[in-house]
Amino acid sequence: MKKLLIFTGMALATYSTRYAMIAALGREMPPLLRQWLRYVPVAVLAALIAPAALAPQGDLEFGLHAWAVLAGAAVAWCTRNVLLTILSGMTAFWLLRAIGM
Amino acid sequence: MRDFRRGLLATLPLAPGVVAFGLLYGVMARQVGFSPWQAWAMSLIVHAGSAQFTALGMWEATGAIPIILTTLVINLRHLLMGASVAPHLRGLHPLWKALLALWMSDESYALAIAEYERGRGSHRYFLGANVGIYLAWPTSGLLGALVGTAIPDPGRYGLDLVFPLAFLGLLTAFLKDRISLAVALGAGGLALLGADLLPGKWYVVVAGLLGSGLGLLLEKVKEA
Repeated sequence: MKKLLIFTGMALATYSTRYAMIAALGREMPPLLRQWLRYVPVAVLAALIAPAALAPQGDLEFGLHAWAVLAGAAVAWCTRNVLLTILSGMTAFWLLRAIGM
Repeated sequence: MRDFRRGLLATLPLAPGVVAFGLLYGVMARQVGFSPWQAWAMSLIVHAGSAQFTALGMWEATGAIPIILTTLVINLRHLLMGASVAPHLRGLHPLWKALLALWMSDESYALAIAEYERGRGSHRYFLGANVGIYLAWPTSGLLGALVGTAIPDPGRYGLDLVFPLAFLGLLTAFLKDRISLAVALGAGGLALLGADLLPGKWYVVVAGLLGSGLGLLLEKVKEA
């Protein structure tokens, strides 16, 4: 029962962060805000990618993950396709691991 | 309905990543004393992977309030995601907005916002992506909890690459000029620095804010 209460609290905390801005920015917004918001997705996505590629264990390293993401980046740039990007990055990871990198 | 299905299907390439971390979550939940059903319930109710992993790590050492507050802090990045998707949801019924916020994950947000950027986005596609991730996360968590034995670290098989690779594929939708490229590189660099210096997921918040601020600044400089 106590666990269920904590889960509910966690869910409310999570939901508040997900809903707050969607609810608050419903109506007309100033052009400057609009202009700024256009750059948020690219910044957030890059922020999610960089540490996963270059610091997968927490410390900065140019290892398997970085090479795999680099291969994925080349394919992403050419194809703009999510499935192909994942497949090529994973393939690069497995190949490089197989040859003992 | 077609858009909903497109969104749902778009999550399929990400499924190996969701399942790998879902299984790991289930195993870890058992290790801190959850029953499989409790592990399942947490995923069904909370549906926030990073926050759930962190909560498990704190479970035996702290009480309810620190766990809930930490969850709030870890999910602050969703404020940024919600803000950037909000312009696309204008005019939508409040109930739709409330529903879309419910299962918005990093992954479904990324799928939806890229689709909006390409001019093919819709709230039904967004919902489909949300539901796709939501179907896989609790199910794989339950599975991991039922199996219960140690499973290998997803990183060993490169399965921790599925999400960043997917984000990379979606990022290309936004790289339209030199400013957006500069934003991507700047935010990536800041995130590396932030991941090293800041706790939890603060690096996404800081790099997201400063990186997009850089974009606005460069655009103003170009206009001037």
